[in-house]
Amino acid sequence: MMRSIETKNLIQDLARQAGSQHYLNAISLDWLLLVAIGFSLAIAAAMVFVLIGVRPDFGIMVQRAPFHYKIALTLSMVCAGFFFAQRAGQPDRTKLPLIAPLPALLLLALGASTDTSGLPITGNSGISVPACVGAILVVSLPVLAVILGVLRSRAPTRLVVAGAAAGLLSGAVGATAYTLACKNDGALFVAVWYSAAILLMIGLGAAIGRRALAW
Amino acid sequence: MWSEAMRAERQGDVAAYERLLKELADLLRRMIKHRLAQHGLGAGDTEDLVQEVLIGLHTKRHAWDASRPFLPWMYAIVRYKFVDAVRRLKRESRYRIDITIDEWSELLEAPAEDADRRMLEIDRHLSDLPQGQQDVVHALAIEGASVRATARKLGTSEGAVRVTFHRALQRLMARAELGQAVTLRGKI
Repeated sequence: MMRSIETKNLIQDLARQAGSQHYLNAISLDWLLLVAIGFSLAIAAAMVFVLIGVRPDFGIMVQRAPFHYKIALTLSMVCAGFFFAQRAGQPDRTKLPLIAPLPALLLLALGASTDTSGLPITGNSGISVPACVGAILVVSLPVLAVILGVLRSRAPTRLVVAGAAAGLLSGAVGATAYTLACKNDGALFVAVWYSAAILLMIGLGAAIGRRALAW
Repeated sequence: MWSEAMRAERQGDVAAYERLLKELADLLRRMIKHRLAQHGLGAGDTEDLVQEVLIGLHTKRHAWDASRPFLPWMYAIVRYKFVDAVRRLKRESRYRIDITIDEWSELLEAPAEDADRRMLEIDRHLSDLPQGQQDVVHALAIEGASVRATARKLGTSEGAVRVTFHRALQRLMARAELGQAVTLRGKI
């Protein structure tokens, strides 16, 4: 009996807080995610700039097809990550948008199968693979923190899925920033090693999701 | 109807929100009692769980998209909180001891003659504690309130209440040279 009186008091306490909300909570999840993506992309790009520096031939690079392929691929992954994260933050949306990663997957298949550049899959130099994957992971970490923060402010109920979605989105944002510095133009290299880095981020997000997103 | 109340809450309508929470509490009480039984757990934790789910719904109320139906959203949150709590209860149940009434009376009979002296002693030890620890011990161990209710009453977090309680216990045990304080431990 005492417990239900306690519940009554609790309800009164909670009811008195009607209408009082943190201003960030009034923003829809879509907008909050978009702002977070823009903000964390800027952080990731700044990190690339400071830690690695942009490519010396940056001005020429941005006009050429390999860079366009990288940007198209990584941005299509950002889109996929956005839709996954947006669903994962809403408990009543149980169906994941399985079409969302389709453009990215098509681009991956296209790039890997039509690569006629003759550039080796392991990149220009012996350290290309670890440098590329490592750089994407490092610049993706702060992005992951931001995205997990956004999801925490909402109501994720499938924590591992939500963590994986946050990992995908942050890996894709990190990879987008890394294109500014990436010296390997082979489409096969990009398709394989960018994906590997993003898959690692998905795994990391899923692994820490259960704890980081619990409420 | 409940969606209406949820929208009214955003306009600061205390009465509508309180009505909603009351109706939700009634629904949750019935639902949780039933579901606990399905999981082979006693109904004793029902009210705790009702409170937990209510607080969850309250703190996440902004995350409900007002253009979408309320019930599926609410049920998803209830399910999440319930699964979480069942996992915790099953883990805790390993530390709980169910003692029959006969065994209890056996346990309680022995010290009966000096019970008054014990109570006085406990009181004396309690009054040696700092005021903050006294409040927490009094609420938890003597009034029998829950950790959450105590935290709310004292205006701090549940974690802080737990920490304070454990500090108080350590102090009490150091003074009383073990003994009676140990029995309070199972509570947290």
